[in-house]
Amino acid sequence: MNMLEIKNLRAGIGDTEILTGLSLSVKPGEVHAIMGPNGSGKSTLALVIAGHEDYEVYEGTVEFLGKNLLDLEPEERAREGIFLGFQYPVEIPGVNNAYLLKAAVNAKRKHEGLGEIDAFEFLQIARETMAMLDMDPSFLNRGVNEGFSGGEKKRNEILQMAVLKPRLAILDETDSGLDIDALKAVANGINALRDPERSIVLVTHYQRLLDYVEPDFVHVLSQGKIVRSGDKSLALQLEERGYDWVRQAASA
Amino acid sequence: MSAISLEQGLLEAAVTALPPDALSAVREAAVASFAANGFPTTRHEDWKYTNLSAAAALSNTWLQDKPAQNEAQAVAIDTEIPEQIDAHWITIINGMVDPDSLSNLDSLIDNGITVSRLTDGVDEGSIIVDDPMSAFNAALLQDGLYIKVADDSTLDKPIGLLLIDDGSVAVTQVRIVIEVGENAKLRIVECPLSAGGDKQFSNSVTQVVLSDSGELDFVRIQQRQKHHLNVNRFAARLKRNSVLNYNNFEFGGELARNDIVADIVGEGASVNLLGLYLAGGRQHIDNHTRVDHRVGPAKSTEEYRGILNGRARCVFNGKAIVHAGADGTDASQSNHNLLLSDQAEIDTKPELEIYADDVKCSHGATVGQLDKSALFYLRSRGLDKDQATQALTRAFASAILSKLAIDECHEYLVSAVDRQLDALIDEE
Repeated sequence: MNMLEIKNLRAGIGDTEILTGLSLSVKPGEVHAIMGPNGSGKSTLALVIAGHEDYEVYEGTVEFLGKNLLDLEPEERAREGIFLGFQYPVEIPGVNNAYLLKAAVNAKRKHEGLGEIDAFEFLQIARETMAMLDMDPSFLNRGVNEGFSGGEKKRNEILQMAVLKPRLAILDETDSGLDIDALKAVANGINALRDPERSIVLVTHYQRLLDYVEPDFVHVLSQGKIVRSGDKSLALQLEERGYDWVRQAASA
Repeated sequence: MSAISLEQGLLEAAVTALPPDALSAVREAAVASFAANGFPTTRHEDWKYTNLSAAAALSNTWLQDKPAQNEAQAVAIDTEIPEQIDAHWITIINGMVDPDSLSNLDSLIDNGITVSRLTDGVDEGSIIVDDPMSAFNAALLQDGLYIKVADDSTLDKPIGLLLIDDGSVAVTQVRIVIEVGENAKLRIVECPLSAGGDKQFSNSVTQVVLSDSGELDFVRIQQRQKHHLNVNRFAARLKRNSVLNYNNFEFGGELARNDIVADIVGEGASVNLLGLYLAGGRQHIDNHTRVDHRVGPAKSTEEYRGILNGRARCVFNGKAIVHAGADGTDASQSNHNLLLSDQAEIDTKPELEIYADDVKCSHGATVGQLDKSALFYLRSRGLDKDQATQALTRAFASAILSKLAIDECHEYLVSAVDRQLDALIDEE
């Protein structure tokens, strides 16, 4: 069964259609990169999969492990094992980072019929993961993303992903705004989660991240649909020839 | 609702019928003073949004029965507060000081703390009547608490005041008189509660004098029942280098009106007012604060926050008046509100009146809803809507809790805020 099966998805905000008939299949264990110019609908795709209420789905289906995803609330999707790494993670002053992490873990455990996580075990997992991501443990006791730099926010997203161990991770421009050290740390975090049972969709504008996280497939999104798919060499071609190349190819 | 006024004749008859005691002269003087104004109505600017008709109607009915002398009776009220907040507790029931709880504090005299009942005797003019509701309070006063801290004295723990309206008396008056000596420090936690199913009206006044370098931390945690009508006045006079930290948590009651008044008469004094109101259903919570900077340099800060749901109606009016010559005044006010429903309403008005030249003043107010992107972020991590709302409202409230003046009540208040927020969020 496919991890993610999107068929002819048309979606947008109000009357503004952004996704214009997108189809995509992701199998367990695969890493897909979705590339495309600004405004092609990359972030919309990520937010529609996560269940953002501003977006309306006009047509098409989105299935996750055979289940209709569009019927589920955002929190239900998360508990089923979908994780969205935000392009712009929100700052939530006053909500403790550790509280959120623990509440998220427990929400998922409850959904799976498990009891709450042991406080000691939780701290241990959080600290180990932070060490891997080269994050200072003090971040655990700060407000969610409060006063974090761009790179720290992205590491925090990867921390959440690594602790929650989703079945499907969609990482929206996780590489944007990162310096080379942060990029490597984030890539390490992603690679550590590669697993035959887990799928990862990387939404990105540049192929830079793909030097560190090697995708199995690369898709090019243009004007709301996938216009070209290939292996990782497609990303390199794009880097060389620019997005105009696929745009022209698509309209030709 | 057309305005119902308090019937002066009923008040006079009731006061005359009370047996003579140490407070007789106070009552008689106050009746005359009350006659000039009666209850404030919504025609008064300061009472524009808060209608006391229900309180007046209840008082008229109650006065008709010519209230007899109150007795402080030990009542069983379900509260875990004294176990959860470490303090020297005194119980005041329907305005009457419970003598047993008071005798527990006799030993505090060794620390320079005198605590007594107003019925034990008061000096002439020591019961202040400076607005219509404090006049009504004094006119029906049968008891009250007097706390005096001698110069250079301090206490290991706060004094806790359990103000209980047990339902046996429809209209109650509480009066607390506090004097903090020079270089002395006092901390008070006040917890108004109520029992019984009938509508009740409580009208309380706390009057404070802070001598030079004296300090008072005062935390009020009002959690009365939903049908309770509360009018409360806290008025403090601050002398040189004295400090007042007043924290006001308003959760209960059908109506709660607070007038917090600080009069800065000594240079170097500092007033810090902090408030949190959580209102749902058809609750009406009105906080009016007024800080008079009569001399400078002196400092006042004020931060009130509110979370409203249902058809709650709240009012914030924060006024700082910098009088002529009060140079070096530093005054700031802020009021932030979170509206969880379309039908909740807040009227907020921070006000500055400045008659001096060299001052630093700022004020601001915000009214908003829960941050949608934060809500989605939390839900995308698996928290359901209520849980996410809880987390965000708690975060909003924590800005006040983190500045709490009395550590001993922090833990209790955190859980009380959580309980109140749970109830508010459940309402939808």
